Amino acid sequence: MRLQGKVAVVTGGAQGIGRAIALGLGREGAKVVVADLQADKAKSVADELTNLGSESLPVEVDVASESSVKNVAQETLGRFGHVDILVNDAGVYPTALVVDMKEAEWDRTINVNLGGNFLCSRAFVPSLRAQKSGRIISIASGIAHYGAKEGAHYAASKAAIIGFVKSLARELGPDGITANAICPGIANTALPRGHRTEEELMQRLRSNPLGHVLEPEDFVGPVLFLASDAASYITGQTINVNCGSYMI
Amino acid sequence: MSQVALITGGANGIGRAVAHRMAAGGMCVVIADFDGAAAESVKSEIAESGGKAEALSVDVTRANEIKALVTDVGKRYGQIDVLANIAGGSFYTKRIEEFTWAEWKEVIDVNLKGTFLMCREVAPIMQRQKRGRILNTASNYGLTGAALRTPYAAAKAGIIAFSKSLAQELAPYGILVNTVAPGPTDTPRVMGKESPEARRQRWSNIPLGRTGRPEDIAEAFFFLTTPESAWITGQTFHVNGGLVTP
Repeated sequence: MRLQGKVAVVTGGAQGIGRAIALGLGREGAKVVVADLQADKAKSVADELTNLGSESLPVEVDVASESSVKNVAQETLGRFGHVDILVNDAGVYPTALVVDMKEAEWDRTINVNLGGNFLCSRAFVPSLRAQKSGRIISIASGIAHYGAKEGAHYAASKAAIIGFVKSLARELGPDGITANAICPGIANTALPRGHRTEEELMQRLRSNPLGHVLEPEDFVGPVLFLASDAASYITGQTINVNCGSYMI
Repeated sequence: MSQVALITGGANGIGRAVAHRMAAGGMCVVIADFDGAAAESVKSEIAESGGKAEALSVDVTRANEIKALVTDVGKRYGQIDVLANIAGGSFYTKRIEEFTWAEWKEVIDVNLKGTFLMCREVAPIMQRQKRGRILNTASNYGLTGAALRTPYAAAKAGIIAFSKSLAQELAPYGILVNTVAPGPTDTPRVMGKESPEARRQRWSNIPLGRTGRPEDIAEAFFFLTTPESAWITGQTFHVNGGLVTP
């Protein structure tokens, strides 16, 4: 177990990729804080972790709310005393053409996806700095590079996360803290379904060079690698897990 | 049977660390190096620590030697699961007008052509297996360029684009092709040219506060051979302490 005794916080940990990451971290021995807007689902992922024999703590959070994020940090540090790994996964993916996009929808997407990265990182950095080690892993998206019709706000927020993470890496490197992003390719999660039929969706999901439908579990290995000692010299980078659908 | 990893440039520096890491991960490691004696000594180190290794000598710029090498490995093991092309180097630091055509070709050939020749020879075996991992070695200089190392930077940038192209060609066979781009790394070759103090000063701008160790780079190579990286292909892993963040 690569993460025995480590404390990890996963925002958006109640479903999809975040849930898979939370369970993966738990299987490697980490104590996991499952932070999510959906408190019931966070509780049920925490129960799954308990069944795996991992210590866990479900916390309700709105990552776009300063006070709510502050509360997660307090609960985490109150329960476990420190934190080692922060996985910023919480996000929203509404769809709209730019010409039809409401300002409020733009604001919410940027505030949750990008602002959540800022608020959560800011909340946990003092604890990471104090121990001179730590990992921040942000889940961006292939859409940051590729763009998405009806997803300009989402693409902008995810591309901004990459710029944010690179800057964070430069700020936190001297304290032994790494910050990296993972860009998942389009995956079989609740988020991108939108108005597509199931058949259309599966065809789109499979249309990559490896012909594989990406599932939330497929992103867990790269997260565990970045969280482990093996990746202690990797920071400010973006790892694209996309079956070769684009190569940059 | 354990996986078979063929590693060029496996006798020294990053290649040696990769050979050790893959052997520690349970692979049978074939160390192919221009310096056959050094390859033998890495083989002995691995055997002493309980791993499996073989040492062979090869000049990666010579197609006939590569053909013989890959045929030999194929006969011995019947499979090649991992090919790590690590043989390379910048060899010269000089201004463009001072580079001879022979020197230019030497740097391009060892780095870029060697990678091509090895891939060309091993790819058919992996295609028959319908699996395989090819790992090529670039450098942060392949992105940023490097004064006085024009052929090296060109070769390393070339390796990145070559690897993406090969990744697209081989994806239908379930073969993954990725590149590791190390930043400044403490290999015997570079440590012999510079005092530790001068080196620290030159690289004081690395966010993580130190130059890389061969072992840091080896971990990225190893990760790219594991099931955890099964859906990563055509990508470049930059292991440089945050020096370059493309």
